[in-house]
Amino acid sequence: MSMPPLPLDDNLEEQIEALLAADTPADGWKEPLHELFQRYIDQQRLLDRLTHIADRFQAAERERSQGYLVNYEKKVRQLEKIVRISDQYQTMLHQLKERLEHASNYDSLTNLPNRRYMTIRLEEAAAQAARKPEAGFTVMIADVDDFKAVNDKFGHAAGDRVLQAVARALELALREYDMCARWGGEEFLLLFPACESTNAPLVAERLRLAVASAPRISEEIPAPTISIGYTQHRTQENIDKTLLRADEALYKAKNAGRNCSIGM
Amino acid sequence: MNDLELAQTPSTPAVRMDHKEGRVFMAGDSYPENPFEFFQPIIDWIDTFLKESSRPLAFDLELIYLNTSSIRAMMDIFDRLEEAHQGGRQVNVLWSYDPDNERVGELAEEFKEDCTFPFAIAPRS
Repeated sequence: MSMPPLPLDDNLEEQIEALLAADTPADGWKEPLHELFQRYIDQQRLLDRLTHIADRFQAAERERSQGYLVNYEKKVRQLEKIVRISDQYQTMLHQLKERLEHASNYDSLTNLPNRRYMTIRLEEAAAQAARKPEAGFTVMIADVDDFKAVNDKFGHAAGDRVLQAVARALELALREYDMCARWGGEEFLLLFPACESTNAPLVAERLRLAVASAPRISEEIPAPTISIGYTQHRTQENIDKTLLRADEALYKAKNAGRNCSIGM
Repeated sequence: MNDLELAQTPSTPAVRMDHKEGRVFMAGDSYPENPFEFFQPIIDWIDTFLKESSRPLAFDLELIYLNTSSIRAMMDIFDRLEEAHQGGRQVNVLWSYDPDNERVGELAEEFKEDCTFPFAIAPRS
């Protein structure tokens, strides 16, 4: 906006003072003094108007910057909200990933590690034993006795409850670093890191008794028992060979009348 | 004005915008490669609908995962609805979620926070 030229006169007051102080003839000074006063008043009015305009400009500017600030604060709040929600979505994704991982590694019926997970652990154990022969380990295959009869007579739901009960009993009888997996059907595979072959028979019997003495599921369903075949992994041996031997031992235990454990 | 219909993809939700019924349906995950390209037609549709008619607008949402850009876009959409609501327009949102994933419901609550128009959040039956 362009300003009008200012007819401001710096020394108007001085001129008035001078006129009053001067020794002027009585009629001669009235007119110029009147004119000077008029100019003085006009200038004061103009100044007032200018001040008023300047004030309005300033107020508008203040309001505008305040508007910017309010808008800015709103944007910051929005951004904070976006970040907060985004973080929660990341947490949700992370939890879903964990659930997925659990589902891919655990058996949904017994909540024990599944065959896939156990296979990985067995291979790791074999690899470690190859590097450190003292890290030998024992594997056991436990199979629920007469399971088919339970399924046939009491239905699959009863069979499922038997499997869950056996899984709990085995799990409770294990040390923290031992591992028990649902290997398939009514078969459980147990891995005992750092378990001497001399201890294996005792451990196997402990597990067998733990299952046999577990609380009954119901009065009708007979208390489940298990047969166990166990063996020690031999250094440099392929894990499949170890498992085959454990299977043979289990076969022998079944033939020996079930509810017993045999090692090879 | 036209209806807008986008088929669901792994990274973008299904979208159905029906101008005759005044209904918008969005369902699925949203992490589009180009969020602007994906959301702009949706936002334009809403703007046009709100400008060209005075009929109510209802949102039916079954969104699950939203990435940061999609969160921002949804907040923009809700801002528009809020503005329309303040102007006396009838708008509402129903956000339904899988009861097995309650976190989605909690997140919908976050979106609802600043909205004064009817915004219902319910587990899907």
